[in-house]
Amino acid sequence: MDLLIQVLINGVLLGGFYAIMALGLALVWGVLNIVNLAHGAFIMLGAYLSWYLYQYGGIDPFIGLPLNAVIMFAVGYAVQRGLLNLVVRAPMFNTLLITFGIEVVLTYLAQLAFSADFRTINPPYAGDNITVGSIVIPDVRLFAFGAAIVLTLAMWVFLLRTKLGRAIRATSQNLTAARLYGVEPRHLYATTFGIGIGLAGAAGALYGVISQVNPYIGASLTAKSFAISIIGGLDNPLGVIVGGLALGIIESLALLYVGATFGDVATFSVLVLVLIARPTGLLGRTA
Amino acid sequence: MRKLLAAVLLLLGVAILAAVPLVGSDVVVQFGINALLLAVLAQGWNIIGGYCGYPSFGNSTFFGLGCYGVAIALVQWDLPFAVGLAFGAGLAIAFAILLGIPVLRLKGHYFAIATLALALAMTAIVSNIEIAGRNIGLVLPPLNNDPLFYELSLGLLTVSTLTVFWLTRSRFGFGLIAIRENEEGAAVMGVNTTLYKILAFTLSGFFSALAGGIYAYWITFIDPTSAFDVGLNVKMIIMAVFGGTGTVLGPVLGAFLLSAISEVLSSEVTTTAGLFFGLVVVAAVVLMPRGLTDIFQHFHKAGWRYFLNNIRTHRV
Amino acid sequence: MFIRAAFLSSLLLGAAAIAPVPSQAADILLGASVQLTGPVANTGRYYKDAYEFAVDKINEHGGVKVGNERRKLVLKIYDNQSDVSLSVRQYTQLVTQDKVNLLLGPFASNFVLADSAISEKYKIPMVQGGGASDQIFSRGFKYVFGTLPAASDYFGSTIKMLTQLKPKPENIALLYADDSFDVSVAKGTRPLLKEAGLKLTLDERYTTNATNFNSLLSQIRNAHIDAVLVAGHETEILNFVRQAKSLSVSPKMYSFTVGVPSADFRKALEDDANFAFGMTAWLPSASLKDKWFGDAESFAKTYKAKYGYEPDYHAASGVADVEALAQAIENAGTVDPEKVRDALAKLNFQSLYGTVAFGKNGQITLPQTVIQIQDEKVVPVYGKDGFIKPPKYPMPAWNSR
Repeated sequence: MDLLIQVLINGVLLGGFYAIMALGLALVWGVLNIVNLAHGAFIMLGAYLSWYLYQYGGIDPFIGLPLNAVIMFAVGYAVQRGLLNLVVRAPMFNTLLITFGIEVVLTYLAQLAFSADFRTINPPYAGDNITVGSIVIPDVRLFAFGAAIVLTLAMWVFLLRTKLGRAIRATSQNLTAARLYGVEPRHLYATTFGIGIGLAGAAGALYGVISQVNPYIGASLTAKSFAISIIGGLDNPLGVIVGGLALGIIESLALLYVGATFGDVATFSVLVLVLIARPTGLLGRTA
Repeated sequence: MRKLLAAVLLLLGVAILAAVPLVGSDVVVQFGINALLLAVLAQGWNIIGGYCGYPSFGNSTFFGLGCYGVAIALVQWDLPFAVGLAFGAGLAIAFAILLGIPVLRLKGHYFAIATLALALAMTAIVSNIEIAGRNIGLVLPPLNNDPLFYELSLGLLTVSTLTVFWLTRSRFGFGLIAIRENEEGAAVMGVNTTLYKILAFTLSGFFSALAGGIYAYWITFIDPTSAFDVGLNVKMIIMAVFGGTGTVLGPVLGAFLLSAISEVLSSEVTTTAGLFFGLVVVAAVVLMPRGLTDIFQHFHKAGWRYFLNNIRTHRV
Repeated sequence: MFIRAAFLSSLLLGAAAIAPVPSQAADILLGASVQLTGPVANTGRYYKDAYEFAVDKINEHGGVKVGNERRKLVLKIYDNQSDVSLSVRQYTQLVTQDKVNLLLGPFASNFVLADSAISEKYKIPMVQGGGASDQIFSRGFKYVFGTLPAASDYFGSTIKMLTQLKPKPENIALLYADDSFDVSVAKGTRPLLKEAGLKLTLDERYTTNATNFNSLLSQIRNAHIDAVLVAGHETEILNFVRQAKSLSVSPKMYSFTVGVPSADFRKALEDDANFAFGMTAWLPSASLKDKWFGDAESFAKTYKAKYGYEPDYHAASGVADVEALAQAIENAGTVDPEKVRDALAKLNFQSLYGTVAFGKNGQITLPQTVIQIQDEKVVPVYGKDGFIKPPKYPMPAWNSR
């Protein structure tokens, strides 16, 4: 019984981290209709950024999260304004292709710049945990879980209640009308993508503390974020929490009860089932 | 008269290609096999993505099923190669029908994403199947006959291209194009959209699976990662797009050209070959999303402004 | 217009086919396709460095004696980008186009499995130090030789040590990644555990490149596992150790098939790496004498001076590959591939890597020395004659380190 509870808690905490990981992708996808297949590569860049800030600037990865997010925001803004804005009105399939190309380019540039060595962000508290009875709760994961809730709620409030958020949603729904209202769509698109990448950067910082960083982690992180976004549903910004939790728990239970090689099988089978049975996701309105 | 000339030129082209193993070095033959198989994949994708307008990100699944069909038949059951190919093709057809029905109901990009999810799921599932060698994969009995693989691949490419050519003049093909342009309108006009879509998906899968079967026997080693590689998917799409989707020879041209450039880079500059691939994808999508065929048709009218116009139509 | 283009491209392919190919002269050309980029590159590059280091050293000594003359060694290395099918094509290119005399291998068993089919097809011997899986050597191939000892015996000396530790570990866990090498290791480890009378409580195969070990670690804690044996890859083991710390899982000992001998693994974990056991077929000891490098200790020093990192058994094995080819050429008196192959099969000489001699199936036999990370340094603790230095056992709990 203890084992089950520990594994469930592991799953919930993992879910929180998964939610942060997918938040940037879900935002950009749900609002701008851009499926960013390079999302994982940006998480990888965020992780390297945090590593350098920690290694050479002595900046703690958590304290440096806002700095990381701001720098990554700038990167995202540039990418959208300079490149992705050029294909926004093309069939959606073109953005799938171009972001895949960006992923390949980023991975190779990372390999050239950082070499294939793996790195870890290892602040002294990285392995600390809280013990409640026989249940162990790692500190960093608890923080990630909390951050996930805060960031997702903030995203929800931002999109639904603030002026900028409403402008962003309006632009993606009706470009012409938005222009007539004096909104500058190129800037708005770039800002939204920038926020998405800033979130990816934050996820990267956390990833570096929990796991290890090398140029090739991008692809599998994108695949997972993808699954989380769809399972949760893109219509509702709170979808990533549901998707993340669902996936974290399913994965942990599958690893425990079915076998340690069945983690990905569980994740992607659920993804396929959701796409077939309820494409708008668990929190989405049925189309 | 023009048609006759075109047919003769094409026949000559095929003959020249068929003669390559007789005069070419081993390396060229190997490169040829690789390029030909990629061309088959691009052509197969062309059917469902180019003509039918349903961009599949899951054709690598069919390719992988073809690989495993041959591998399992040869390694586990001691059956001949031809039986293995048939087995692989059978698996692909079954898969296309069974999973095509639910997945083809999805529109536009959701279809692309669903097929991508399928490809990801297959890798994970096959790594757990005992008869497929799980994640270690299978080592096939070596057959030292590259010219045979070359001619088989060339034959497969010819058949698939002829099939696409037949598509362009058949009712089935017109039905697919109608679905691509306006699916609801096509349904109203009496096109059985579900049947046609599934047929297109199955046909596409059939060719991809055969290519996979040949590839597996040639490379003598497959595992889930290389058989169901998502990157391969994007490669075949970009080759089709680069050459021109919805045309008969576009994917072939795109595949040959991109393979050649990639191979030259891999042997000369090695480290940046992968980087090049990424840059080509980005550039192609921005500058020439309708492919080389479209460039050939419009360049002499619009000149360099062709590329700018592409950007202008698609940017925000 | 379009058809013309298609016709032209097939003409081009045909023309490329008959382009002439230049041939090489008196230098001995060694070819290899190694992972210099891509996910496995962080270990793949050790082989490139090692091959180059060895070739330079041998050339410094005047090259290889072939009959009455001395000939220099020249290396041609391709980057296979961690792609197996590309490496197969590159080996074909090395043999048929670049006309290399002999082949050196890639890293990783799955690559060697595929690439050795080329050496076998063209009958050019390949000496590789990157693949240890039993699958490679059980196909009856005559042209592939391996300087990594058998995968199935990797935990042999560790298990012998376990039987002599006090308190003796009661429950053992065996975790292994699902790739060729690690599955071979697990297959060989199970009977060894049984013979030693140790109880295998948890036997779990996990996905290669797994990042989530929380469920497995929770199971380990729940079942009161005393010793954990992990056969996997460096990134997985890194995640395993970090997650073990964050979940406060500390069995009496754990041992890993990779990572422990490598400097950047220890650097990434810092003092969390302490107490971890591993094994290596090679240590930079001064007692391993070498014709070209003097001994293993001076080799390690000069290697580190040139490349900036300490060599581990991957690098030493790569050097051994080059030396094996050089020695075989000298013994055979020719670079004829058949004769060199026969000379390789009969080879038996001392090198900085130990005794280089291949078994009937082409694989070397070397005992694994058990090592442990103590105070962030690698210490040999148990060899074929028993304890060398005292191991730090049992491992203290994480919060009391």
